[in-house]
Amino acid sequence: MEGPDEIIHQSMRLKITATLNALSTGEQMEFNKLKAMLSATDGNMATHLAALEKAGYIAVQKDFVGKKPRTRVALTRTGRKAFEKHVAYLKDLLNGGG
Amino acid sequence: MTVSREEAAQALSDINRASDKVIKRAGYRHGAPFFILWGLVWMFANGASWFMPENRGLFWGAGVGLGMVISTVMGVMQSRKLKYEPGTMDMRVGRSIGFTSLIMFAFIFCVVWIARPESNIQVNAIISILFPFIYMAAGIWAGWRLFAIGLVTAVAIMGGYIWLPEYFEPWMAVFGGGSLIAGGLWLRTA
Repeated sequence: MEGPDEIIHQSMRLKITATLNALSTGEQMEFNKLKAMLSATDGNMATHLAALEKAGYIAVQKDFVGKKPRTRVALTRTGRKAFEKHVAYLKDLLNGGG
Repeated sequence: MTVSREEAAQALSDINRASDKVIKRAGYRHGAPFFILWGLVWMFANGASWFMPENRGLFWGAGVGLGMVISTVMGVMQSRKLKYEPGTMDMRVGRSIGFTSLIMFAFIFCVVWIARPESNIQVNAIISILFPFIYMAAGIWAGWRLFAIGLVTAVAIMGGYIWLPEYFEPWMAVFGGGSLIAGGLWLRTA
């Protein structure tokens, strides 16, 4: 059995990837919506998104709607695979593996 | 890095909760335009019937007919955004909406037939009150916002019927249709 994914396993990052994984492939979620859904602060969310982006697990897109800046995030193919592997690891662990 | 069984259980529970929130949000966003549409139908049919009661049947027929056509088109368009085989899902969604509408009409027909309402207001109230209760029942499973919309709409209908029966149609246009439209807009913010 492979080990846990250390980047994803952190509580907030786990919730972020779980939320993005539940979207359809390629679908993006706005930073503010994600923050509200996970009851996170701006700073906390930005830090964890940066860690996930650095690992190549999420893609961050920044643009403007009128004059308002907008940040949207989506799980990458790599991120989705890593998340699925991590979930499989957790399930194996619970089922007595490892 | 080691993970205990308790941590694994907690993590899986967090994942389920996060997924559940996204699924509910998607349901809300898919449902929102239908609430707005049917709110407009209620607003139009009730409002127009108040001003021209002799054309009540025409207004309701046109409103409900148009509402069903637009609902079917919106349902098919929404299904196309999901990643299914093109074509097959259109038919399935179209058929599902069609059959659901037929079942609803059959049910309404039976209820009106059994209850034998004596006035247009009673017919209107009996038919209208069915829907918010469906939303409430569905909301128990699909999310509290749906339940809340059903509850507010049901209270609006019963309030108008009990306290302002002589102004029931304009009341329904503003508060019945209005609560559906407001509910739809609220669902969009989820």
